[in-house]
Amino acid sequence: MATILGRATEIGGVSRAARRSYSWVREIPLVPLLLVTVLVLAAVLAPVLAPHSHLDPVKPTPGQCQAKYGMADCPYVDNMPPFWFSQGTFATPLGTDYLGRDLLSRLMYGARISLVVALTGTLFAGAIGTLLGVLAGYMGKWWDQIIMRVTDAWLTLPSLVFAILLSSVRGPGVWNIVLILALVFWSRYSRAVRGEVLALREREFVRLAEINGVGKLKIIRRHLIPNVMNTVMVLFSLQVGVAVIIEASLSFLGVGVPPPEPSWGLMMAQERESLMQGKWWLAVFPGICITMLVLSANMLGDWLRVRLDPQLRNR
Amino acid sequence: MRKYVLLRGFYSLVTLWLLVTIIFAMVRLTGDPVAMKGEIGADATYLERIKHDWGLDQPVYWQYTGFIGNLLKGDFGHSFEKSLPVRDIYFERLPNSLKLGFAAFVISLALGVPFGMLSALKVNTWWDNAGKMIALLGLSMPGFFVGLVLIIIFGVQLGWLPVLGKGSSAFVWSNPATWAPFWFRDWPHLAMPAFALGWYFSGAMLRITRSGMLDVLGSDYIKLVRLKGVPERMVVAKHALKNSLIPVLTFAGLNLLIMVNVAVVIEVIFNWPGVGQLLYDGLSNRDFPMVQGVVLMSGLMIVMLNFVIDVLYGYVDPRIRLSR
Amino acid sequence: MTRRTGIKELLALIAALALVAAAGEAAAQKGGQTPILSGPLVKLDIKEAQIETAKGKPKGTFRIAQHFALDPGWLDPLEHIFALTMQTYDYLVHDALIKPMPQGEATYSLAEHAELAADFRRAAFRLRPGLKFHDGQPLSTADVKWTYENYKGAHAKLFRDKLEHIQIVDDRTIVFHFKEPFLEFMDLYNGAVSGIGWIVPKHYYEKVGRDGFKAKPIGAGPYKFVSQQAGVQMDFEAWEEYWRRTPAAKTIVVKGIRDNAARLAGLQTGELDLAFGMTGKVLPQVMADKNLRWVPNFTSVWHLAFPGYNEPDSPFHDKRVRQAVSLAINREFLVRQETQGVGKVWGNWISPENRDALKGDGKDLPLPEHNIAKAKQVLAQTKFPNGFEFEWFVPFVPYFDMGERILTDLRAVGIRGKLQSLEGPAFRAKMGQGRKGFPGNRTIVQNIDPRPGGAKATIGVYAVCGSPASIVCEPQIEELWTKHEASKNLDERDRLNKAIQKILVEEYYMVPIYWNPFVHAIGPRVLPEGKGIERYYDTLHAPYPWPWEVWEVRADR
Repeated sequence: MATILGRATEIGGVSRAARRSYSWVREIPLVPLLLVTVLVLAAVLAPVLAPHSHLDPVKPTPGQCQAKYGMADCPYVDNMPPFWFSQGTFATPLGTDYLGRDLLSRLMYGARISLVVALTGTLFAGAIGTLLGVLAGYMGKWWDQIIMRVTDAWLTLPSLVFAILLSSVRGPGVWNIVLILALVFWSRYSRAVRGEVLALREREFVRLAEINGVGKLKIIRRHLIPNVMNTVMVLFSLQVGVAVIIEASLSFLGVGVPPPEPSWGLMMAQERESLMQGKWWLAVFPGICITMLVLSANMLGDWLRVRLDPQLRNR
Repeated sequence: MRKYVLLRGFYSLVTLWLLVTIIFAMVRLTGDPVAMKGEIGADATYLERIKHDWGLDQPVYWQYTGFIGNLLKGDFGHSFEKSLPVRDIYFERLPNSLKLGFAAFVISLALGVPFGMLSALKVNTWWDNAGKMIALLGLSMPGFFVGLVLIIIFGVQLGWLPVLGKGSSAFVWSNPATWAPFWFRDWPHLAMPAFALGWYFSGAMLRITRSGMLDVLGSDYIKLVRLKGVPERMVVAKHALKNSLIPVLTFAGLNLLIMVNVAVVIEVIFNWPGVGQLLYDGLSNRDFPMVQGVVLMSGLMIVMLNFVIDVLYGYVDPRIRLSR
Repeated sequence: MTRRTGIKELLALIAALALVAAAGEAAAQKGGQTPILSGPLVKLDIKEAQIETAKGKPKGTFRIAQHFALDPGWLDPLEHIFALTMQTYDYLVHDALIKPMPQGEATYSLAEHAELAADFRRAAFRLRPGLKFHDGQPLSTADVKWTYENYKGAHAKLFRDKLEHIQIVDDRTIVFHFKEPFLEFMDLYNGAVSGIGWIVPKHYYEKVGRDGFKAKPIGAGPYKFVSQQAGVQMDFEAWEEYWRRTPAAKTIVVKGIRDNAARLAGLQTGELDLAFGMTGKVLPQVMADKNLRWVPNFTSVWHLAFPGYNEPDSPFHDKRVRQAVSLAINREFLVRQETQGVGKVWGNWISPENRDALKGDGKDLPLPEHNIAKAKQVLAQTKFPNGFEFEWFVPFVPYFDMGERILTDLRAVGIRGKLQSLEGPAFRAKMGQGRKGFPGNRTIVQNIDPRPGGAKATIGVYAVCGSPASIVCEPQIEELWTKHEASKNLDERDRLNKAIQKILVEEYYMVPIYWNPFVHAIGPRVLPEGKGIERYYDTLHAPYPWPWEVWEVRADR
């Protein structure tokens, strides 16, 4: 009985009135939602939507070869500007990079990398951190001491530095970055979750379940984890943005996603020199993509935080 | 109270020890630094000698105890790559990082606090939204992107600001004549990296100020002050601001430490010879003592600050000191 | 600018001359020098120094950008390995008895006279009169002896093992006695190859110690060390009492700047005067900028290698796969994109600067072909008719763009891989371990090695089973190499050496790409204005423009 009551009041943290009227749906900030939708669609449908290959150069016309190199035939034409420049064409709407690859297609595939890496990485971090936080908070004693001391030490390690260090252990690669993100960010969850569990442990429904002889594992599974989900979700939404930036930074520093895969951070690193030549679009578009994704993740995270944390409702 | 302070102190020591151990183990997983020092085709005796010089021919537990022993004496060891004691190099670089960190810190405060206050006073108005937007943008743009955009606009296109390094003024510990001028020279060099770094942290500053202000403005204390008929301007300036600044400042302190110690990407982009660049060089050269030293120094500062904050909070709020 | 001979070839030359000398020729003496050693001597090919006094006051600040982080260890010759970067700094602060100069690969510097006994068991030097260190203390043979005895860098063991004793005849005359014939002595003692010939002040080193010396070295070179910020910047000041000439620039500032774009920006804003390694995306800008000048400075040849190719389950085990890789690379276009057409497509992987290297321009070895259709056709006969996925493509640091260009070329025939962008030291470490440095056998390495010592030295590092850095290990080559090492006949050695080079290229164990220009860009403050900067690049076999005392810049305003 207590269990049911406890869960019913806690889930989602959204008041019953609000839930019934579905008014919260209307409160979702539209702009970030739209941005995220666009990026997710671009990522998922990249193989269908992308005008060209993201790894191979766009085959140029003889006219383009003649104009650029004075050759009848060439493997590719590098650094085509976007369509609004006089040499630009709609075939490559945002232009081509130094290897004659279509920038738009690369950006779309880049969205895949960013989203997959950030989401899975944060998910794993959340899973590890939540589990450890619940264990520390609920089991107490030595569990608590050990887990929290390690968490403290982990939190003093600056995330990017730690990530660079781990990447030189693991070497480059998409899944290695996922692993790195999980290893770096779990401590953010365990801290918060532990605090939550300390409070929950004293709550009636947990006490009652204990008195009724419900096993520890079951209490963790049935009562604690569902009830810390709000906190975890808020943290998750805020961490996704950070994870995108960390992935981009690692790739920018050359220890992240290996070329020729088009990670946004990597594309920016590769085109730093073009930036100096006034070909700003090559580095700026990936930068804008990163900013868009992180910005909308942060805005949605903010919204979620306000929704799920009743104390913040009016801020 | 004494017991509380001792316990927090003990926890801080444990945290530091764990940090030391994690970092010690971690750098040793990254590869063999000896092979990196030698040239391709270098003779084996030369490599053996380096290995011996660096103490890497000893068993790991022995290296570990030696490392801890030296740390207790304040000796961080010799840099593999830069051939000098880590401590010397670190302290040589530290003023550069402090200069950058302070400048970024001032920028983050200057952007974050006023906007945070404004948006707290004018909730859900244009001011509030503009402030939130600036904060969110700062948080959402990777430092290297801001850096590159600044470089192209102010460095390359307009040519107003230098893009390389920190300028010619240097802080030399052995020469007191350089101590003061260092902070006041070469500001054009400082402008771009400090802004790129400061903007990122201003977002967090703004959030903290805003929520701190809201907390205080909603408190019974302020209600009472208002009831007493104190003008609104005074309420904000004297009472609310003073009380809401405490969390802002503690948080700002932590930010400052982060900016000083680990501004890796910004320092790499702007070729700023600070601690972050040192760390990055150390990481790419498998320079174990260097990486250990820098991470430990930053960890030490953070742990010490946390300890001070914990103790102060314990003083202010007895509940905290009893609950843990 | 173009550098012609290898150091080890000198050895060959000396060995040949030694035979002549042993046949009864008397000592070779120059310019009325009284001989130091008795008995027959080797005729040494050491050029006279060009002493230019009265060159006026040093003026101006000369700012150099190194393309990676600086290491204070470079300032201590006692711990030098073979790394040309270290010599760059030796040329500033220190001076050697004999070193490469525009006059020749071996040119008298601190020494004014040298002798080598025909049995290669004694070597003698006479120092110039009146030599001093920066602190005014005299440089004597005691310093030369101390440097030799305390040297710990490359070949230190060889030097120590061979030595019997050092005899100080007087303050200016010193004789090294060896336990057994030390054929390579004069080559290894040369400042270009090891640190042992660069003389370190005994009194100062003993006073300040290893760390102190690296933090603030003094020497007998043209520039006095002023200060440094470890890894970032080093400042040097002209030492007007340098024996050869008054240095031209008053101050030299060296900065470590990893980023190409940042070095270019520094040149353009006038914050730098000389920057190394300016190929790739920045080169068109360097060329387009009317204020900047550039020097091609050819070093060595880019090539691909396949660590682990000789294991049967490696896709590169099949010669035809390696051939397809070679055929797929569009070298002409690569040269155009990467070096603006300055580089030269080349058919041998060993630098043509080595006198014993086969010429890869069609003379000895054919120019490599680009033919996609043929590549596909060749590949069709293998286990991978439609190509395959390999693991890593590992380019020499920091030529990642070039690596990705080649990787993209390979995709055209269906050979696909990922690019591993390592840091410089990590790449060196992997290459240093040879085949073991690259786990798995599905890796392509893009390497370049401007190693002195002739083709023989390069082969001995990469293509011989016994080398720690071995990538190619073939019984056929081993057989030739063993004969080569055993042979005392120079003609036979040359023939065997060239036979090995031929096999390496024809079997596609090494796939040459092009002869690389290591472009240096030079700012407007460097004199002379306009043309004529090539004169700074006259020293043989130097990737960097030594010596530094001749570089003239405009006076500071």
